Amino acid sequence: MSSPTMLTKFESKSSRAKGIAFHPKRPWILVSLHSSTIQLWDYRMGTLIDRFEEHDGPVRGIDFHKTQPLFVSGGDDYKIKVWSYVQRRCLFTLNGHLDYVRTVFFHHDLPWIVSSSDDQTIRIWNWQNRQLICTMTGHNHYTMCAQFHPREDLIVSASLDQSVRVWDISGLRKKHSAPTSMTFEDQMARANANQADMFGNTDAVVKFVLEGHDRGVNWVSFHPTLPLIVSAGDDRLIKLWRMSETKAWEVDTCRGHFQNASACLFHPHQDLILSVGEDKTIRVWDLNKRTAVQSFKRENDRFWVIAAHPEINLFAAGHDNGVMVFKLERERPASAVYQNQLFYITKEKHVRSYDFTKNVESPSMLSLKKLGSPWVPPRSLSYNPAERAILVTSPADGGVYELISLPRDTTGAVEPTDTKRGSGNSAVFVARNRFAVFNQSNQQIDIKDLSNSTTKTIKPPHGTVDIYFGGTGCLLLVTATSVVLYDINQKKQLAELSVNGIKYVVWSSDGLHAALLSKHNVTIITKSLEQVSTLHETIRIKSATWDDAGVLLYSTLNHIKYSLMNGDNGIVRTLDQTVYLVRVKGRNVYCLDRAAKPKMLQIDPTEYRFKLALIKRNYDEMLNIIKTSSLVGQSIISYLQKKGYPEIALQFVQDPQTRFELAIECGNLDVAVEMAKQLDRPKLWQRLSTEALAHGNHQVVEMTYQKLRNFDKLSFLYLATGDQEKLKRMAKIAEHRGDMTARFQNALYLGDVQNRIEMFQEIDLYPLAYMTAKAHGLEEQCQSILEASGLTEEQINVPIVGKPLSPLTPIVPTFKANWPVKGTSSSVFEKALLGQVEGIEDEAVTATNGYGDEDLLVPDAGTARNGQLDEAEEDEDVAGWDMGDDVDVEAESDFVNVESADAGAGSSEADMWARNSPLAADHVAAGSFETAMQLLNRQVGAVNFKPLEGRFEEILLASRTFLPANSSMPPLVNYVRRTVSETDSRKILPIIPRDLESIMVGEFAAGKTAMAKNKLEDGVQVFKKLLHLLLVNVVSSQQEVTEAKKVISTATQYILAMSIELERRALTKDSPNDLSPFSDDIKKRALELAAYFTVPDLEPQHKSLALWISMKFSNKNKQYSSALSFANELLDRSRVDKQQKDARQIKASCERNPTDAVEIDFDTFADFDICAASYTPIYQGSPSAMCAYCGAKYHAKYKGTVCRICGVCQIGAPASGLRLVG
Amino acid sequence: MDPYSAEGELMNIHNAFHAGQYSAVTTFDTSSFSSSNALSARILKLRAQLALGQHAAVLSELKITSNPDLSAVKVLAGYLQSVEKGQEGGEAVEAARTLASAQGENLTVQLCCGTVLARAGETEEALALLARHQGSLDAVALIIQIHLQQNRTDLAAKEAQRARKWAQDSLLVNLAESWVGLRQGGESYQSAFYVYEELAQAPSTQTTHSLIGQAICELHLGRLPEAESALQQALALDSNSADALANLMVLHAIQGQDTQELKSRLEKVRPGHQILVDAAAKREAFEAARAKYSPKFEV
Repeated sequence: MSSPTMLTKFESKSSRAKGIAFHPKRPWILVSLHSSTIQLWDYRMGTLIDRFEEHDGPVRGIDFHKTQPLFVSGGDDYKIKVWSYVQRRCLFTLNGHLDYVRTVFFHHDLPWIVSSSDDQTIRIWNWQNRQLICTMTGHNHYTMCAQFHPREDLIVSASLDQSVRVWDISGLRKKHSAPTSMTFEDQMARANANQADMFGNTDAVVKFVLEGHDRGVNWVSFHPTLPLIVSAGDDRLIKLWRMSETKAWEVDTCRGHFQNASACLFHPHQDLILSVGEDKTIRVWDLNKRTAVQSFKRENDRFWVIAAHPEINLFAAGHDNGVMVFKLERERPASAVYQNQLFYITKEKHVRSYDFTKNVESPSMLSLKKLGSPWVPPRSLSYNPAERAILVTSPADGGVYELISLPRDTTGAVEPTDTKRGSGNSAVFVARNRFAVFNQSNQQIDIKDLSNSTTKTIKPPHGTVDIYFGGTGCLLLVTATSVVLYDINQKKQLAELSVNGIKYVVWSSDGLHAALLSKHNVTIITKSLEQVSTLHETIRIKSATWDDAGVLLYSTLNHIKYSLMNGDNGIVRTLDQTVYLVRVKGRNVYCLDRAAKPKMLQIDPTEYRFKLALIKRNYDEMLNIIKTSSLVGQSIISYLQKKGYPEIALQFVQDPQTRFELAIECGNLDVAVEMAKQLDRPKLWQRLSTEALAHGNHQVVEMTYQKLRNFDKLSFLYLATGDQEKLKRMAKIAEHRGDMTARFQNALYLGDVQNRIEMFQEIDLYPLAYMTAKAHGLEEQCQSILEASGLTEEQINVPIVGKPLSPLTPIVPTFKANWPVKGTSSSVFEKALLGQVEGIEDEAVTATNGYGDEDLLVPDAGTARNGQLDEAEEDEDVAGWDMGDDVDVEAESDFVNVESADAGAGSSEADMWARNSPLAADHVAAGSFETAMQLLNRQVGAVNFKPLEGRFEEILLASRTFLPANSSMPPLVNYVRRTVSETDSRKILPIIPRDLESIMVGEFAAGKTAMAKNKLEDGVQVFKKLLHLLLVNVVSSQQEVTEAKKVISTATQYILAMSIELERRALTKDSPNDLSPFSDDIKKRALELAAYFTVPDLEPQHKSLALWISMKFSNKNKQYSSALSFANELLDRSRVDKQQKDARQIKASCERNPTDAVEIDFDTFADFDICAASYTPIYQGSPSAMCAYCGAKYHAKYKGTVCRICGVCQIGAPASGLRLVG
Repeated sequence: MDPYSAEGELMNIHNAFHAGQYSAVTTFDTSSFSSSNALSARILKLRAQLALGQHAAVLSELKITSNPDLSAVKVLAGYLQSVEKGQEGGEAVEAARTLASAQGENLTVQLCCGTVLARAGETEEALALLARHQGSLDAVALIIQIHLQQNRTDLAAKEAQRARKWAQDSLLVNLAESWVGLRQGGESYQSAFYVYEELAQAPSTQTTHSLIGQAICELHLGRLPEAESALQQALALDSNSADALANLMVLHAIQGQDTQELKSRLEKVRPGHQILVDAAAKREAFEAARAKYSPKFEV
């Protein structure tokens, strides 16, 4: 027996560990050592928290209190000590035992401690009043162990006297619980019911004595819920006992230990027994079958004690050199994600799926009960969507895998029928029909096919411990110190990355990146194994999954965190319990919990999305996030500031002080000013003034100086900017303030000599006043000063003075506006936030169209390009398009299946197409141009195929691909089908490029735009191309046929209208609008053509356009009657203001004189068509001919010629009608 | 041990040859190969050279040879060169026939002469020669391609099925099955796609060949944007890949885009590409068919 699934979580090195206790809530264990020390470990972090050393000699018993910050210990110094781990000291000592204390345990609710001792007694102590309350005697050798029952008033004890005893302590509880009124009878009854022991002690009485062990019993435990007891003895046996109200008996024995069994206990949740012994093993037994499930052996250390965590799946065992904390099985549920589905294995070993979009769990699809051993959960699951198969590995029996097909329909937890299995530690799908199996013991990877036979064998690098999918055709081989990317086909290493202890690999959904998870590190790599970033967590990393945007979310024991590609990470949310992330979508994180239940957790992805957007400089996204979510908090602000985006951080801050700082940092003076005004502190003004000066924004500088009352600086600023007015005001202010220096300074700046002299006089500095006056040649002033001071000129020795100084004034009055201001760092983002970036406006509104000449200016009419097909438009041509059956193609003729022939060439798929379809387009694709032309000729009378050449080529080109195959051979031709899923050779049909929809949004729209923009030549070309595209085409339904026909007839009408207008323009090109220079014939023809322009059935806005043009043209050329009729029609139809206005104007003027200058062949009241060849009316009743394809009308004499509109068909030819659908 | 098997020395070079990594084959380090495999490796290199169009170089290297294998390669080189010059290559075909009758058991003779015969339109002879192979996947692949060119998808499928039984993990079998699958259509398109995608997305086997194969599968499946990106990837690897250009033309035609620019690029790279030859032939057919009608333009 091996121990594949015992997972060691923590190991300590110390002297012999004799006692262990788990803290019920915290990740702590107490270990009491043979060396007299008690250790307190954090087994999650692997750190020694504290040491307690007051016992003298070995400490054997140890226990945490369930709720109080207390623990109790008992040692070979006969002492029981109660400690506070908060105060880190022994609170008191309970003395009384007369020999080694073996075990000590707290009661689950009463303030009691039970202790067992080599003095053969079991004692119960009250740790509140620190008194011995009961001594239980009866064992006649060392009592090795005594424990309270978890619920009932029972104690079980084990002794070297080979017996196990169960004691009833209900009497003790009654005695020590709050006194209740008790009748004498009750007391009597109680006294009689409880048989007193030989000392008359009724507090604790022996209920059962269990005899069966042949040697001393070392340990005994109650089952947490069932009336069961398990004991371990020096007879190397583990015995299971059952008890009822009245008796107790031995149930069975577990044999296996080959040395003294030291301790044993029941698994808190599962039907298992765990035991340890001096044979250096930990053994796990099936409680129901009493068979060994697994065992774990240490090389050199005898085990002395075992303890179970009360809540979670953790155990600890003490041995000669320390303790080990372990769990029996992995709790990570095996799972795999494919698109929107999660496949996972439940605790019952059922395979289930979970749909992320619907948030529903499927019923069980399969039961994997038989996989591995019953107590070992599967380790991994790999899913193959192409085959709908799963590959499951289990660590049982040294590692096994099974390949199982998932049933098509879920019928419950059925046992799989067709499974392929083998041995291996890891197994993953590497391709649609291949999987890799890794065997650690012989260090070999087998590549297997779906029938489970090995097709290839790979020797992985030495020390490989696991394999993962490595991208198509590759594997990631994980060794203890590196990860290797291995190409399966080439059988060589592509890359290697040194990274320690990788345990899991998580690929991003686009397959470009992967996260390598080790216990404490996440390393993000590219698919070619280049390290992108790495991060360290102090807490254990459990799982990870990728966001669609390329953000890694990972879970630790207690958090969900994110990591961006650049390694920036943070906490997304905290977790109450460990979960395994499988997927993140928007605000939802999907995970499996330890019970393998899918769960959906809500997260707020704002922070990481914002950071991601910031890194990608996706300002729209950032803007959107700011607008829609409450992204606040110091962290994001400091993040932005740190990353150098103060201007963005500015958007989030409310606090004026911070806003000011940020505004200064990013040079946003407006905000800075605003904030400074709010705060109004000199220091801020000071900083603002410096900053504003650096920016050249002297208006702000001025304001800050004013605020700071910095008069001299202000004056200098005014001087520098040339603001004389303000400078004068400064002088006044200085005068008011009586600040002579300032006054002098201002006067100097202003060049105000008078003022200076006055000032000098005022302060009795006459010499200076005199000198000033003298220097400026103000003799009168000099005189008056001399008089005032009572001196004469001769008495003064004047030094020679130069020319008077007058200050320079700036040439440009720069005070009116700021100096060229330093560009602030206003990002696109910021602008967007301020609404300055405008969306791309619909240019259609402003698109100027080409009707540019002054008379024919069309301001608005042309803008509506995307007009709908007029639903009400009467499709007069539809009759001609009736879907008559074609008489031609031999499609229904007997189909000979050539494939039955044995040798010789077959017919190509292209030939099939021609056979399978009556449509011309399909024949073109088949390369059978001749039959295609025949079909078109019969259907629509096509005769001139030259214009269709491009279309033929295009269809043919689109129908064949060229696949390079064997070397030096020509590529294999394959035939592109529109019937992609069809395999019946009689139903396959070729792809025909340019479907109706693409023509509608392409040519059809472009043609109408050309009309609106007055690009008539282009328009004609585009519409003709449209006709050619639709002539050789296929559509999918009758409805589309109708639609196509409507498009054809509309195109025809546009071509006709444009051609008429072009004809008119060609006629009058020398004088486009004024017909006066032309002969009468030309005049008449031009006016007629203008009138005919209004006849074709265009879409309303284009019809109005034609009317409007013709109206203006007629009006200009004095055809008032025609103009009037166009005006009237236009008033009815047009919705364009300009057209309406013109129409009203012309109507008013024409009504005064409703006559035509030239009589033209145009009857506004008659119903007629325009001949598309001669552009003359075909009145009803007169002989005419029609194009069978486009429906253009012609005078009878054109019959037999090629249609002028479509350019392909013969006018008036017999035709069965175009077929577009098979 | 079979030198082409998974452990054999020739496996990688052989796979590279069939994945269309011809330049990689020509520069493949074969110095460490055992002497028994040296000839096979040399032949693969020579054939890769031919596939790269270096006919003259091969011919000059093999000027004088009596080795049947190398003679066969020489025949093939001679044929390809004359075809390139626009000649019939009748001489080479005759040489192929002679060699085939003399050394019909030799695999290289089968492959090279079979190729010559198949290209010369002597399909039955080619198949008869190739049928003598002794468990060679190369021969099977060639047979399958010839059947497909004959439009005998049924026979090709049978051949592929047979080969799968004894060499199922081989790259060539997978490829050959994909060729057949692309003719069969329906679900086979997706299977073929898987094969090519697997090749095209693995770093070691990503070649213009595999990318084109992937693109063609996507195209047949109607996934045009994916096909476009695969073809662009192929062109990024080799901007002069004639087959990539040709298939991009097809794709653009399907999307209704202009193909003139691609066409002129292709004309520069390989004027003799089948797509151009076909188009020219069809232009003539068009003119011929059109001539049967006499449109009247004037009254």
